[in-house]
This record gives sequence, structure tokens and C-alpha cells, in this order.
Amino acid sequence: MKEGLFSRAMLWLVFLFLLGPFVIVFLAGFSAGDTLAFPPESYSLRWIGEVLVADEFQRAFRTSLEIGLLATVIALLLGVPVAYAMSRMPPPGMGAIKQILTSPLIIPAMLVGLGLLRHFVLLVDAPVFLGLLIGHIGLLTPYAVRVVYASLVNLRVDIEEAAITLGASRLQTFFLIVLPNIRSAVIAAFFLAFVTSFNQVPVSLFLTGPGISTLPIEMLGHMENSFDPSIAALSTLLVLFTMAFVLVTEKVLGISKYM
Amino acid sequence: MSVHQKKWNGVMLVMPALIFTVVCFLLPVLALLLDAFRVDAPAAHWGLGRFVDFFAEPLNRQVFLRTLRIAALVTLVSALLSYPAAQAIVRVAPRYRGMVLGMMILPLMVSPIARTYAWIVLFGRNGAINSILLSLGLTDEPQRLLFSEMAVFVGLLQLLLPLMLMSLVSSMENLSRDITLAASTLGANAWQVFTRVTLPLTQEGLIVGGTLVFTGCVTAYVTPALLGGPKVLMLETLLYQKVSVESDFGTANVIAVILVLMTLAVNAGLKRISSSRSTV
Repeated sequence: MKEGLFSRAMLWLVFLFLLGPFVIVFLAGFSAGDTLAFPPESYSLRWIGEVLVADEFQRAFRTSLEIGLLATVIALLLGVPVAYAMSRMPPPGMGAIKQILTSPLIIPAMLVGLGLLRHFVLLVDAPVFLGLLIGHIGLLTPYAVRVVYASLVNLRVDIEEAAITLGASRLQTFFLIVLPNIRSAVIAAFFLAFVTSFNQVPVSLFLTGPGISTLPIEMLGHMENSFDPSIAALSTLLVLFTMAFVLVTEKVLGISKYM
Repeated sequence: MSVHQKKWNGVMLVMPALIFTVVCFLLPVLALLLDAFRVDAPAAHWGLGRFVDFFAEPLNRQVFLRTLRIAALVTLVSALLSYPAAQAIVRVAPRYRGMVLGMMILPLMVSPIARTYAWIVLFGRNGAINSILLSLGLTDEPQRLLFSEMAVFVGLLQLLLPLMLMSLVSSMENLSRDITLAASTLGANAWQVFTRVTLPLTQEGLIVGGTLVFTGCVTAYVTPALLGGPKVLMLETLLYQKVSVESDFGTANVIAVILVLMTLAVNAGLKRISSSRSTV
């Protein structure tokens, strides 16, 4: 069938366009030269090694990890109760509440960073780290709500009612019956939120300062001053890390169905 | 548990997230947006003076129109590429399904910096394309490919295409193969099947995907910053420049309002189209 052939060819083209650039990043990341040139004249692990021991990248990586983990855990603590309420005991005005809670998905993220800088960090002289953390929590909460809600809707209500009829309290029912059943959705939400935070640029852009910088912001800063292949090397590591991550989460959780 | 009690519990569960979002997220942004309507001279008052000043500047108008143009073009091209690709994806044999889905979501999970960096390697002065052009003798000196609208367009297309693809795949999955088969059995050619059957029935996926891609273009920072630079500014990079280079917060606030209005308009349009469809 001719039509099928055309769409298959287009699919390959699209995948080449989407994934081909990663191959280029790999080749540049393993280059041995002092400046970025493509194709590189020779290959080595030189720059991979250098970015792994570089102080500024190590520090930024640690900040990204801290912010990512903290913001994700807090977003889940805020988001899971909302998802439960939405699916089991919708409070009055649910439509408006939903609108407010999903607003972080619509508001351009850069404005959140600027707003928090001007009207929180500078206003009350708060630590930049706190502003950064708040921005990330706000951004991640809607993801936590959405993923967990989707799983709760598919969970039968009878098993909870059975537990309550048999004498369990609401709280016991949630922790002993509901939570084990939505476990994989909670884990998927955790991973999605963490990756979102880890890659986040616009929110963090205005909320980094002396001594506090996330990995993406540090990479952007480095690119302004230098043309060495270290960003290519770091990008290579990030792509490899993400590939392994997607492979594992897709196999174990089928994470694509939560996106 | 009474109905009243149940409602009350629901309120308690929603409260922490609601308070957090309003106080820590919405209020700072609202304060920022309100500032755009405050004019200092001659006397402090509320008004649209800052907007008039913003659009009076030719550079700002140029950036505004460029943002719209690039966003529209990326949305259009991503739809054109995604339709046939999505059609192929829904026909993929189940055992390759996971692999194809993985290939689709991988780019979305990779850091936008890593993804954009590839284009710097390709388009740079000593980059791949210039090496090819030089070795083929098509040019004598390296061409300026980076920091152009074309580079920003390509970068944004690669960044956002997966969103359109995913949204079209999910709406095509709901479209039974029998329907298109029936159309072609009854004598429709491939083009007619697409325009009369597939397109109307996957309209919603197209609209959702289009909204995501368009707003993604308008609010992207990394790609225009790295591939457009200070020469090819878009609204987000202009905003960043106003704040961090010029400390011109007044203009930054105006851009903030424009960005919010653009995303709200696109989202409202989306809602209207999908609700008018459901009533038909």
C-alpha cells in the first residue's frame, strides 16, 4: 500500500530529526580538541573526565539534586491529597479550584521566577534557595495531581468501602488499601516531577545567585564564556543518563501512559 | 460518613495545595503583572502608558511579530510532519510499540540544553554543515548559520514536535481503522480519506497539540537564547535581557503581561473550539 509506505518513511524522517542530534552531541562530547569543532579531529574521554571533576558543575549538580528531590517530595505531599479529594470527595467549587491548581502549567515559567525574585526574595530578604524551591514546588504540584488522579479514577471505590465497613478508619484505609494500589502512579509522578525539576531553566533563571546555581543554569553560564567541548560532554552524560532512565521507567512503570 | 462531612474532608485535603499555589505562586506573578499598568510619570497613576511605549519601539514590535511568526510556523510544520508519522505509529506492530513510544518520549525527557546544543554543533562556524559546505566547495568561507531565525525555527521544531506527535497518536488510537477502510472501499482516494475522515475525527488532538506547541514556542527560553542570541530575540529572551542587562523592570513587566495574554488567549480558544465541538 503506497500510503502506508509514505507514512512509514515520514516516521523514520521524524525520528531521525528528533534523535539524530543526540548522535552529534555524543561525537562532540568525546572530542579531544580544545575547542568545539565538528567532526572532531580525534576522540578521547578528556572532557567527560573534566566535567566530572569540575567544582562548579559538581556544586550545581548537588543543588539540582537537592532542589529536585525536595520539591518533588513536597509536591507529592501537596498533590496526592488533592488527587484523592478530587476523585473521592470533591469539595464545592471544584472547577475553580482545579483552575487555580493547574495555573502553573499555563503561566509562562519565567514569570514565576521573576515574580518570586521581585515580590518574595527581594521583598522579604528571603534566601534565594527558598525562592528556587518554592518555584519548583509550584511547577511540579500539577503533575503530581494529574498522574495520581488518573490512577485513582481507575481504582474501584468498593474496596475502600469494604475496608471501612470492616472497621478501618479513613486514614487506615488510605494508607493500607489505597496507597499500595496507586503505588506505581505515585512512583511515576515522582520520576516525572524530578526530571521536570532537574531540566527546568526558566523558573530558575532569575532565582540563582552567588553560590546557588542549578546544573542547567551553570551550563548556560559556562557557554557564554567558553567554546570548549565541556558542555557537549555534560550533554552526552545527561542524554545517556536520560536514555537509561526512560528505558527502565518505561519497562517497569510504562511511564509513557502517564505523560 | 455524612455528605456534609465528606465535603468538609475534601476541602481540608485540597487546602494546603490551594493556599500554597495562591500565596507562593499566583500572588508574586499577579504583583508582577499589575506593575505593568502602573505609570510613574508625570504623576503616579494606572494606565496603559507602558504598553504604548513598548509598541512604539520598532525593535519591540519586530520581536513581538517574530515570536508570533516563528510560533505559527513551528506549529504548522509540526502538524504537517506529525500526521503521517502518527499514522505510522498507530499501525506499528504491538511488540515494537514500547520501543516507538520510548523513542517518542525520550527527547521530551532530555534536558533542553543538551537538545539545543546539538544544533550549535551543527550550525556553528566550525560546525558540521559548514564543514560539508567547505569540503564540497560550495562556499569559500564558513557561513553564518547560527543566530538566525532559521536556527531558532529548527531548534524549536525539534523541541516541540514530540508534543504534537503524542497528541495526534492518542487521538488516532481512538479512530477505528474500519472507518478509513470503509471510506477507501467506497471509492475515496488517500487525500479524500485524510481530509474528509481522518482530519475531522482527529481535530481535537490537532488542537491540543497545536496549543502545546504554540505556547511552547512563545514561552521557550533556552532555544532562542542559544540559537538566536541577542540578534534574533524572541519575547522571552527580550524579557531576560531587559531584566538582567538593562535592569528595565518596567518593560519586563509589559512583556510578562503580553506573554500571559498570549497563552491565555490560545488556551481560551482551545476551550471554545472543543466545547463547541462537543455540543454539535
